[in-house]
Parts: sequence; C-alpha cells; structure tokens
Amino acid sequence: MINRRNFLTTVALGTASAAVLAACGSPAPAQTGSAENPVTINYTWWGNDDRAERTRKAIALFESKNPDIKVNGNFTDFAGYWQKRATEAAGGGLPDVMQWDLSYLRDYGQRNQLLDLGTVKINTDAFDKSLLPSGQIRGKTYGIPTSTNAFAVYYDPAKLASLGIAEPDGTWTYKEYNAFLAEVGAKSNGALFGGTDYTGIWWMFNIWLRQNNIEAFTEDGKLGFAKDDLKKWWNQTAALRGTPAIVSEERVTQLAPKSPFGSNVSATESTWDNFMAAYLGDSGAKELKLVPVPSDDKDNLGLFLKPSMLMVASAKTKFKDAAARFIDFMVNDPEVGQIFKTSRGVPASKTQRDGTTFEGTDKLVVDYEKSIEKYLKDAPEPPIVGFGTLETSFKRISSDLNFGKLTVDGAADAWFKEAEDLIKQNA
Amino acid sequence: MTQSPTLSRRSTPSAPSQPRKSRQRGADARAGYTFLLPWLLGFIALTVGPMISSLYLSFTNYNLFDPPKWIGLDNYATLFQDERFLGSVGVTLSYVVFGTPLKLAAALAVAMLLNSARKGQGFYRSAFYAPSLIGASVSIAIVWKAMFGDSGPVDQGLSFFGINLGGWVGNPSMTMPMMILLTVWQFGAPMVIFLAGLKQIPADLYEAASMDGAGPVRKFFNITWPMLSPVIFFNLLMETIHAFQIFASAYIISNGEGGPAGSTLFYTLYLYLRGFSDFRMGYASAMAWLLVIVVGIITLIFFKTSKSWVHYSGDSK
Repeated sequence: MINRRNFLTTVALGTASAAVLAACGSPAPAQTGSAENPVTINYTWWGNDDRAERTRKAIALFESKNPDIKVNGNFTDFAGYWQKRATEAAGGGLPDVMQWDLSYLRDYGQRNQLLDLGTVKINTDAFDKSLLPSGQIRGKTYGIPTSTNAFAVYYDPAKLASLGIAEPDGTWTYKEYNAFLAEVGAKSNGALFGGTDYTGIWWMFNIWLRQNNIEAFTEDGKLGFAKDDLKKWWNQTAALRGTPAIVSEERVTQLAPKSPFGSNVSATESTWDNFMAAYLGDSGAKELKLVPVPSDDKDNLGLFLKPSMLMVASAKTKFKDAAARFIDFMVNDPEVGQIFKTSRGVPASKTQRDGTTFEGTDKLVVDYEKSIEKYLKDAPEPPIVGFGTLETSFKRISSDLNFGKLTVDGAADAWFKEAEDLIKQNA
Repeated sequence: MTQSPTLSRRSTPSAPSQPRKSRQRGADARAGYTFLLPWLLGFIALTVGPMISSLYLSFTNYNLFDPPKWIGLDNYATLFQDERFLGSVGVTLSYVVFGTPLKLAAALAVAMLLNSARKGQGFYRSAFYAPSLIGASVSIAIVWKAMFGDSGPVDQGLSFFGINLGGWVGNPSMTMPMMILLTVWQFGAPMVIFLAGLKQIPADLYEAASMDGAGPVRKFFNITWPMLSPVIFFNLLMETIHAFQIFASAYIISNGEGGPAGSTLFYTLYLYLRGFSDFRMGYASAMAWLLVIVVGIITLIFFKTSKSWVHYSGDSK
C-alpha cells in the first residue's frame, strides 16, 4: 500500500541516492573529443564589441578546422575581468583558456593557477626569441603573447583640422605636449577636451621613468623610484587640471567603461597602439593617427614593445590538449591574423604577421611600431605580484587628484602607503 | 522534543490515550524535521559553515591562493588606519541615516493615501509596489545611471527649470542624493507592511476622536503613530539592516570602482574590492565581521529604546 508519507520518503531517498550514484559512478570526462562527441573548452577575454565580433569569427574558424573541439566564449570589460578571475580561481574553476595581461601574470603564475605551457605542444618557432621570456617566470612558460603593443599618442586628424591646429609630428617635449592639449581646449572653447590626464596612466609614468633611466621596480620586487619622482610626475599637469586641456574627471567617470577619446569627447589619448580598432569602432571617426609619446630627451623615448594579450590556460584544465591546440591556433594561424588585424596589437608570431595583410589604419599601427624601432628598449620583466592592484590604485588616486580631493603631495603619500603595504603583504 | 510528552500529559487528562498520542507526536516531530532537513542542511553548509570559516579567515592573511597564515588581530587593527575604510564607513552611515528615514516616510505617506477606499485602489497599490520588486535588479541600476548622467532626463528636466547641475553620476557631491533617491523610490515593500498595519487599526478609534473634535494631525500622532508603532519598528529595523548591505546598485553605477572620488564606496563594495580585486580575503573577512557586530549592536540599541515608543496592544502603557 502506498500512503503519502511512504511515497514521499521513497521519492526523497531515490532522488538522493541517484545523485550520490551519479557523483560516484560517472566516468572522468574524456581528455580528447571526436567529431561526433566533441569536448568543450571555455575561453574568456576582455574587450569591447569589436573584439568580441572578431573573436567569434576566430572561434568559428577554429571549430570548423577542429571538429573535435567546441569553444565556449565569454567576455567582459577589463576592470571586471580580474574580479571574475579571482572569484573563479578561489573556487578552482578558472576557464580552460584565457586572454591574459602581463600585469597579472605573476599573481596567478607564481601561485600555480596557470598551466606550464612548456609541458604541452605549442609551436613557438615563429616568435622573436626576445619576446618569450616576458611570459615566463622561474623557467616556466605561463603565457604566450599573441601580439606586441607599443605606447603611443592617438589623435583624430579631422578634429584637429576643424580647430585649425597642425597635426603633431611626434617629436615633442612634455611642455610642448601640454601646450598642445591646452590649445585644443582653448580653440574649441571647451567643446573638445585636449586629452585625459596622462599622468593618471601608470604606463606613461613608467615610460617617463625609463626616459630618466629609472626602472619602476627593482629585481627583488621593490619600488625603484622615490616619492619625489611621483610628485614631480603628478605636478607635470598641475596647471592643466580643471581646464579644458584635460577631460574633466566628471566626464571620465560618467563615460566609463568607455574612453573619452572613443566617445569623441577629447582630441587625443595616450595608450597602447592596439586600441586603433576599438577607437575607430567606438568613435566612428574615419581616420585616427598615432605618434610617439613626449620625451624631454629626444634620443630616449623610453618606449618598448609590450608582449600583450597573452594566451594562458588554467592549471586545472581537464583538456590540456584541446587548450594547447586552441592557443597554438590563436597565436600562429595566419587566418586569425587576418581576422584580428592589429586589434590585439601587431601579431607576435612571424607566421601570423606575414600571413596578414595590413591596410589603412592597420598599416598605421604596423608602421608606427616600425618607426619607433630604433628607440625600443627591452620590455620590463613581468611586474611584481599585486601589480594589477597598484595599477588600479594609481588610476584611482590620480582621479581623486583631478577631483581636488587630494593634493599632489597627499596623492603621492597615499599611493606609496598602498604600494608599500602591498609589497609587505606579498613579501 | 523532550518536552512533548510532558506537554501531552498536561493537556490530556485521560491516561490510556497517552502513549499513542506521544508516539503520534514523536512521529510528527520526525516528519517535521525531515521536511526541515533540506533547508537545515543548506543553512549549515551554505551559511553557518562559511560564516565560521570567514571568522577564522579574518584572523589570517588569506589571499585566495596561498594557505592562510594566522596573524591575530592585525586585520582589525589595520582597518582603523585605512583611510579608504574610514571613507566607506562615512559613506555608508550617511546613506543609512538619511536614506532609511526618507524611505520609511515615503512608504508611510503613500500607505496612508492608499488606505482609504477609492476606485482603482488595486492598480495604485501594484503600481507603487512594482519598483521594489525590480529595484534591486541590475537593469534598474543601469537605467538610473543613464537617467542621472550628462544630458540624461534628470539633467535636462532640471535645466528646464534653470537648475544646471550637469550629470549626477560623475559629481562626487551628487552621487549620494542619487543613491538615496534610488532607495526611496523602492519604498514598496515597507509600504505594503504599513498598509497591512493601518488596516488593523480599529475605525472606531478615529470615529471617537472625530467626535471629540480631533483634526487629522492630532489623529495621526495620537492614534495612527502609537497603534502602528510595532509595524514602524519592524520596518525601521529591517530597512536599516537592509541599507547597510547596499551593494549591487553602487557597484553598477560606479562601474565597480566606488567613484567618483570614493563617493559611492559603500562598506560592502570596499569589502568586495579588498577581497576580490586586491586578494586581501582575510582583511575582507575582518570587515564582514565588523559589519555583523556593528549591525548587531545597532539592532540591540533599537530593541532597548523601542520600549519607550513602541506600543503593543494589551500593554498596560
């Protein structure tokens, strides 16, 4: 006889035991797939819609060439990207393959979260040998760069022409650059800002330090510069803050995560040269050009090629082979180069670079990296553990500076306090 | 469970029926706990367990990756020298102190308007309740950000009246009013509770007061307020605790950064950034426990002071 209680108990027990049995009895997932029964790997990256579109095309191409692997793609913007990865790492569930930045390579690599790519089959023959060490820590390869980026100042020639301002030729001192920013603000009557406060960008500071022959970090992971250097840097634009030369921090905040330059609010922006595609897409401008960053020493621009958009795999991935094949494809395949052009930077692998035709604005990026070749120095080592946090706080404190919440001295104190605390924490 | 036989003995005078009743009760209790079990297991595994481990982690330097190392009270001591922490406390307190009373006042006012029977009452109740259903969602925060941005509807509306504030989102002194407006707008949940409370107040009290010549203000302070005070107390307590926990809207409106100039760096947002951006999970755990303790103390103070102004029917007062 079935009464209600017995029935419910039976159902409950049945469900519970089914779950337990399923947990115990299911075979380990297959390491390799087949065309009928493909394995699925997760791939995640940061970027805007433009990159998402290109990545989807690359994934579709990969899947058509590798019917035994499906790639499940996912993306966010840069800031949210790292919070998500931290959450996943804590739970042991990092995606199989990820786009990675040098800033966070030590944080995850040294803490055994990333797969040593030296243990899987990825062809790196076509890479410049000076480039690979930046993805390596203590002899293990954690990341393979897809491309190289150089820092540059972007400008919109059409906007400058409409204001009657001559295009910069890229040989400028900081004083000249400041004057240029001020001129844009003045001639447009504040309708167009000169550019964002470049002193709020960590890499501009880093380049300026290198122009003065200072390394940002010492080999033993300490700060290589003094508080006075930072004060001097932040004082560089003191006279411009609050004027139309510099995008007001109110606007920067409201536009985030979009950039003022991509939103047609400013005439220039200093950033990595791979932003060309994103800026063109965001702003709708016909043409954007790029020139070297300012320097007070015209023989030392402090520039370097940063290996970027590294491909990494999770140390816990169950599909090492599939992950390796996807990484190999993304860094080496010439057709992938054709899809991304320079939107990840100039392809690092010679196979991919030679297989890509660069035209129009993409050619500008490639030409730019060629034009600065003679100024290039070695890329810095993978930055210290916790560097991503320092980069974020650099931006935040500089923003407080622009809001007038902090003085330059107060800002330098605040950043040094946070940096020293962080270095002590990770020592 | 041990009490049930005693209880049944006292309640059932006839001796022969006792063992069967007791067995019946035992079976009921077993069934009760069986049905409770799924929730209880979840509660222990997903709430109590993590809470205890976070208490432990708050005394360590846990960074998500390496095994935690015991550092005693260091995290708690560092908190009070951390300017961003102190800033986040200030931001959160001003949100709680200004936002909660305003929200409750709005809820009570609308509840009183909706209390009187008139046409379309059901529609109005639903319409006023709707924002609190969708208020906590991501989409509303995004809409809010767009509404209060440069040349958004709010900016344009105010400009029409000659008030030029620009976008509120990027202005450190306008973000707090914006966040408070967002919470006040979601007054639906306390409003429904107020409405239920108002229905409980006997109409004859108002009739008697009218006959004695009391005006609406007098009626409010001498009848509505004391009769409603348990409900007001309940709402105040819940909304205060709720306000301390604000996170999602601040995260979305400030793009996860707590800006501009730290003006939306709420306590929980800073906690999250410390834990998941800076990998200082021990520190974040200490912050979480400090919040639990402070909210606990505030609740205690509310209960202590409630005796002087909350009236339960049947009280001698």
